[in-house]
Formats: sequence, C-alpha cells, structure tokens
Amino acid sequence: MEKTSVKTSPRVQKKLIQARQSINWIKAELESLPELYEGKKQAKLARFKNKLNKQLSSAAFKACDKGEYYDGVIDSKLMRYDVKKYMAHRALNHGTAKRIFGTVKLGQSYDEILSEQYAKYQQLNAARAEYKGKLTEKKAAFVEKHGAADATEYNALIAKKQAEYDEYEAKLTAAYGAAMSEKAEKLSQKLKGYESLTEQLSAKTAGGLKLEEDVLLSVRDLKMYFGGLKAVDGLSFDVKKGEIFGLIGPNGAGKTTVFNCITRFYDATGGDMYFENKYGEVVDMRSFKVHDVILQGISRTFQNVELIKEISVVDNLLVACTREYKTGIIGQALGLPSLKKEEKLLRAKAMKILKFMGIESYAAWYAMGLPYGILKKVEIARALMCDAKLIIMDEPAAGLNDSETADLTRTIRRIRDEFGVTILLVEHDMSLVMNVCDTVCAISFGRMLAIGTTDEIKKNKAVQEAYLGVDEDEEAQPQEEAEGNE
Amino acid sequence: MDKLLTNKYGVKGAVQRADAKLTLALRKTVSNPLLHYLIFGVIMCVIGYIAKQNTGVIPYSWESGLARTFAYSIASVGFCLLMGYSGLASLGTGGFIGIGTYAMYYIMGVLDLPFALAVVVAIAIAALVGIIVGFISLRIEGIYLVILTLGLSEILRQIYVAVEDNISISRFRVFIETITTRSVTIYYVMVALIIVMIVTTNLINSPTGRAMLAMKNSTSAAQAMGISLIKYRLLAFVLCTVYAALSGVMYMVTTRSVMASDANGTYALITSLNILAAVIIGGYKSVWGAVFGTFIMYGLQTTLLQQVNFLADNPIIITFFSGILVIVVVMFFPGGVAQLLVELKGLIKKLIKKIREGRYGKDLG
Repeated sequence: MEKTSVKTSPRVQKKLIQARQSINWIKAELESLPELYEGKKQAKLARFKNKLNKQLSSAAFKACDKGEYYDGVIDSKLMRYDVKKYMAHRALNHGTAKRIFGTVKLGQSYDEILSEQYAKYQQLNAARAEYKGKLTEKKAAFVEKHGAADATEYNALIAKKQAEYDEYEAKLTAAYGAAMSEKAEKLSQKLKGYESLTEQLSAKTAGGLKLEEDVLLSVRDLKMYFGGLKAVDGLSFDVKKGEIFGLIGPNGAGKTTVFNCITRFYDATGGDMYFENKYGEVVDMRSFKVHDVILQGISRTFQNVELIKEISVVDNLLVACTREYKTGIIGQALGLPSLKKEEKLLRAKAMKILKFMGIESYAAWYAMGLPYGILKKVEIARALMCDAKLIIMDEPAAGLNDSETADLTRTIRRIRDEFGVTILLVEHDMSLVMNVCDTVCAISFGRMLAIGTTDEIKKNKAVQEAYLGVDEDEEAQPQEEAEGNE
Repeated sequence: MDKLLTNKYGVKGAVQRADAKLTLALRKTVSNPLLHYLIFGVIMCVIGYIAKQNTGVIPYSWESGLARTFAYSIASVGFCLLMGYSGLASLGTGGFIGIGTYAMYYIMGVLDLPFALAVVVAIAIAALVGIIVGFISLRIEGIYLVILTLGLSEILRQIYVAVEDNISISRFRVFIETITTRSVTIYYVMVALIIVMIVTTNLINSPTGRAMLAMKNSTSAAQAMGISLIKYRLLAFVLCTVYAALSGVMYMVTTRSVMASDANGTYALITSLNILAAVIIGGYKSVWGAVFGTFIMYGLQTTLLQQVNFLADNPIIITFFSGILVIVVVMFFPGGVAQLLVELKGLIKKLIKKIREGRYGKDLG
C-alpha cells in the first residue's frame, strides 16, 4: 500500500462533516414528507368530519329507531351496577374472607361471611333488575314522545354532506400535494447545494490513500507497548467488506487492546490502521480523536453493558446520535422547534431499529432493571443507530445463556445482511465464533498465530497449542477443548 | 354514507372523540413542567407582595427571606446540573457568587450604568473564569476539581476583601423601577430563577443532558458514542459558575450590601457547603429538588422557624437539624426529597391496589 500523508486543516474536515450531516438530515426530511402531509390532511379531515356530524346530529336522531336508541341509553346507565356486580362476583369467586361491604365482625365464620357476600350479590342483582325495569317502563313513553323513525330528512342531508366532504377532501389533497412538492423541490435544491459543497471539500481532504479491493479495515504492523509489556506486537490483518471477522485468543492475548487501538482509546505505539469510512474515503485512523471515530462509521459495544440506567431505552439509543444534531447548545437550552423536529426523526429511526431487534416493547422502559439479555440487545441497537459501516463487538455473548447465544448468532447474521455492515468481534464463546464468523484470526501474546476460515483455524496446530499447551495427544478436538478451557 | 358517519347515533361518538382530544391537550398542558415553574413563580411573587404590604397577614421579613433563598436557589440549580448530570463537584460556589455581586457593585454603584449591563458583565466574567479553571482542572478526573475550586473560592474572597471589603448600593434602577428598601425585589429574583429553571430543564431533556448522563455513567462508552468529555464537562462547569454569578447579582438586588471579610458570609466556604447540602437534601438530579433543598437550608430559617421564639433565640439548633438531615438523606434516600416523593407516590399506588385486592380479590382480567 502507498503511504502518502496529506494534512488537511481541521476546519475543512469540520465543514465537511457538517455538510455531510446536513445532507443526511435533508434526506431524512425528504423521506418523512409524505407521512407528515398525510397526517396533517387526516387531522383536518377528522375535524371537518366532526363538524359535519354535529350538523347532522338532529336529523340522525330522527332517523334512528327510537327503541334501539333508548336501549343504548339503558346500557350506559346500567354500567354503574355492572361494575359493582363484577367486583362482587370477583370477591365471591376468590372466596375472600373479607366482606365486600362493611367490616368483618368478630366471631363471624367463613361460611357466614361467604353467604353474606352471596346475599349482597343477589341484592345487587335485584337492584339492577329493578332499575332496568324502571328504565324499560320509560322506554315506551320515550318512543311515543319522539315518534317513529323518519329517515327522509336524514337521507336528503347525508348525500349533501357527503358531497361536501368529498369536495373538501379533494381540495385538501390537491393543496397538500402542491405544498409537498414545493417543499420537496426546495429541499432537493438545498441537497444539491450541499452535495456540490461536499464534493469540493472532499477533493481537498482526499489523502490519496487506497486499500485493496473489498478491504474495509487494514491493520498493518500494529504495536502497543505498555512500558515493557508488549501487549500487541506487530499484528497485521485485513477485514473484508461485509464479513464477520472474529478475533480469538487466550486470556491476555491482547484482543481487547487491538480493539481499543482501532477505536483510538489507546494511542498505538506503532503501526498503521486504514479504514474506508462511510463516505467511501480511505482514512488513517491514527489521525482521529477517540470521540471522532464514530463520525467515520465505526461504532462499538462493550464487554460489560455500558448503558445509562436512569433514562429510557429509546433515549439510550439517541445518545449515539449526539453528534448528529444540528441544533446547537443554545438552541437546545431554548427548546427550539428545530430540535423537536430532529428528535422526532431520530426517534422514528430508533423505533425502527428496536423493532428490528425485536425489543420495541421495551422502548419506554428505563434501562434500570431490564434483564441482561435485553440490555445486550439494546447496546447492539445503539451501535446500529449511527449508520456505522463497521461494528466492533467486545464479547457480545459474555453473560448470556445458551438460547440467548443462539439468538445472538442469528441476530448478528441478520444485522450483517440487512444493514450491510461489517462486524468485527472478540469472543471467548467458541460455539458462537465458529458458527457466525467468516474469517477468524487467532492471536497469542500480541502476535498472530493464524488467520483463515473457521475450519482452517480448528485444524491449525499453533492455535491448538496456544489454547491447550503443547500436548502429546495430537488428536485433541480443539473446539470442544477450547470451550472447556474458557 | 359509511365514510362520513362511523357510529350508530351520529353525534355521540364524534362529541366523545372531540372531548377525549381536548382532555389530552389539557393534560399535556397541565403536565408541562414549564407551566409549573410559572405557577410557582407567580405564587411566590404574590406572597412577596402581600408581605411587603405589611398588613400582618404574612410577616414583613418573609419577602427578603424568600428573595434571598431563591437567589441562592439559582446557584443550586447550576450545582444540580454539575453534580447530578455530569458527576462533578465544586466547592467554589461562594467565590463565584462574589463575581456577580462585585460586577453589580462596580457597574451600578460605582460607574452608574444600566442593570442589564451588570448582568451581562457578571455572566461574561463568570464564563471566562469557568472556562479557564475548567480547562486546567477538568482534564484530571476525581477530587481535583473540588480542591481547586475550594482554593479558588478562598483566593477570590481574599481579592474581594483587598479590593473593597464592604460593598453596598443604596438606590439603583433595575430596568424601570428604582430599588429602595421598600421595593418588592422578589419579582426580579423569581424571573431569573424561572428562566434558569426552564433553561436547565430544557438542557436536561435535550441531547446535551443525555450526553452528560452518558459521560457520568461511563466515560469510555460516552467517548465511543462521539461525546467529547472535555466539552461537556466544561459546559456543565461554566453553566454552574454562570448561574452562581447570576445568583450573586440577584442576591445584591435583594440585600443591597455584602461584607466580604465575614467568615460566615456569602463568599465563605459555608455558602458552598450549604448549597452542596441543599442539592443533596433536595435530590441531586431534580431541579425542583435543588430549589426545595435551598429552601430547607436557607428559607426555613428566615421564614417559618423565625416565628418560633425558641428557635429564633437559638439558631444553632437549625444548623444541627440541617446537618442531621443531610446524614439521614445520604443514608436512606440517596436521591433526596425528589426520590422520597416518587417512592411515596409508588407506595400510595401499591396501598390502593392492596386495599382493592383485599376487598374484591385479585384482578381476574
């Protein structure tokens, strides 16, 4: 690979990021336009419908069958009794020793109480029947007073109103259609402006770096020394686009250190890391700060779930989008409408992702107190929020039981297929690694042992030795033994 | 026909739906926290007004007592943001309050310039000091910020003593009203407090608030999510100092004079500690809690307890009481009064459910 370092000013880079974020926002807004205008139209139509219905009410009353109408009235008036009856029935069914009404008297036996309860229930039934009788008596008078059903006026009116309604609907459809296309036009013009700006800026920032075809992340001769300890010592590997890449090794092999170097938690002692970011440019990862890595399209999950306990699950997902808001801090402090608009769009996206993960019913729950398996899923969902190209998972199966691990295996595959992301994972659970990974890289003491498909790794002698120690029994099954080892 | 009329009796359903909609809108308005702040502010202003009329319905001294309490509350709200949301602590509140009082004194008392300028200058100086101190101390985690601000506060106090020990302004104009001893100053304090509360609530519920919480929970996760630690820590710290300076301005509006060399005065360590205690008692994650905690630390003494002769003669008992309160809260209710109220609400709901179950048996549905 050619190594050419082009220094671009941070200001240009910042501008570029802002322009790209603007493009994202405009695209999201364009997508949400039809829904928005449809909602507006429906709301207006509903209001209009209510208005028409109110105008129709007297005619509708004349048109309906009076006896039927009064039956409805009786039903609603008897509701009070029905609730009481339900409660009494519930108490009887459970046979609670306490009375429904009043307190327990001393020396009362259980049977007595029950029979008393039953008497109360009967009383209630009788009272209800009596009240119903009274109302039914009134029904005849009511019907007589208001006369028989007369639908002529209603029929004449309804056709007129329906026509009015249809006309209004057509008018609204036309008006909102025009408004929408106008808005869409405006937005797409804005989008074009930003796109040309992005092109100009990216021409400036392009570093002339190139990766081999299909390679997403290339780690070259990575070194990380802590004082005298060589945690990672000259490690090189390539992660291809769209593959699930597993990094394995015994405890203390330096797997997590490699992760932390890629995500810039550690500043590597030596070596290079090149990554094709989500805009298709090849960047040198070592030129970014740790909190800027996410903007390039790398997100990660943690070994121990690192969620915010005191806010809801969907809010936790929004944390990953902190850098995407265009509203500044002052705008946020004033609660500007632009912030609300952005929040709405991002919330919709978060709900979509939660639905994909199958945990949308937990969206409004606080992260505190949710089961560990759910929290793990929430963390993966959070990593998906920022349109990442590479997701780094640090021991995703840690602390999960067998069925949850099997579920996770499917989930990881689905994420790769549907979001088109590449996944790089460190894992101790060999069944997960062997099931899900396309390529596995085994390391030991910071050095590469072997890289290849799962089958190749299983048969590799160096890997077997690293996990089991040098052993005379060469027929040992590395997979099973390795599992036992963990 | 079916398109227009969906329900059997025509009008009934439509009216019900409209009612439900109205109820929802009403409920949304009623549950809006900003409205609560406004109502709270109006009530306090009315109390202050009645007290100043000196008719005996509400004691005369309540107005100044409440105004002073709520001036301190502004600093508490900032401290709540700093401690509850970004997980930092500062003991420099007293010194930062001094920035506000001295800006007020020099701009209005000495230079005779308008009040708005005093507020702007106080905020600007406080922000500058906050940024400088923050940049030095926030790179290091843990207790260093506390030590640094503690020292800074004392340095600031010594500077105040050296510059002008006893500052006082007798008559001054705040916007259109000339403030004298007879003016009802609680209006200005409440306006400032409500603005601060609204801004803080908005921030807490915005991406910034979530970023701060993320940072407090786990720095590594926050960084991986693109949150720059220094930026948000600095923001919280600067807001805290700015609020403290604003609190100083409002303090000066209501009291009109401060003595810097007083070892138990406004700029001393005791103020910082009292505000820390107030936020702990009230609940360090709740804006209402911060205001209520300040009322317990400052307001109770100047209003309600002052009416009891025994307590008025022995104010030390109140100090004991607040100390014990802090211990009790830390031991049993780490979330403060705010948590207590939430737990109480849950308890009442549980109790009601239990009573219903006792009467009618368990719910079948």
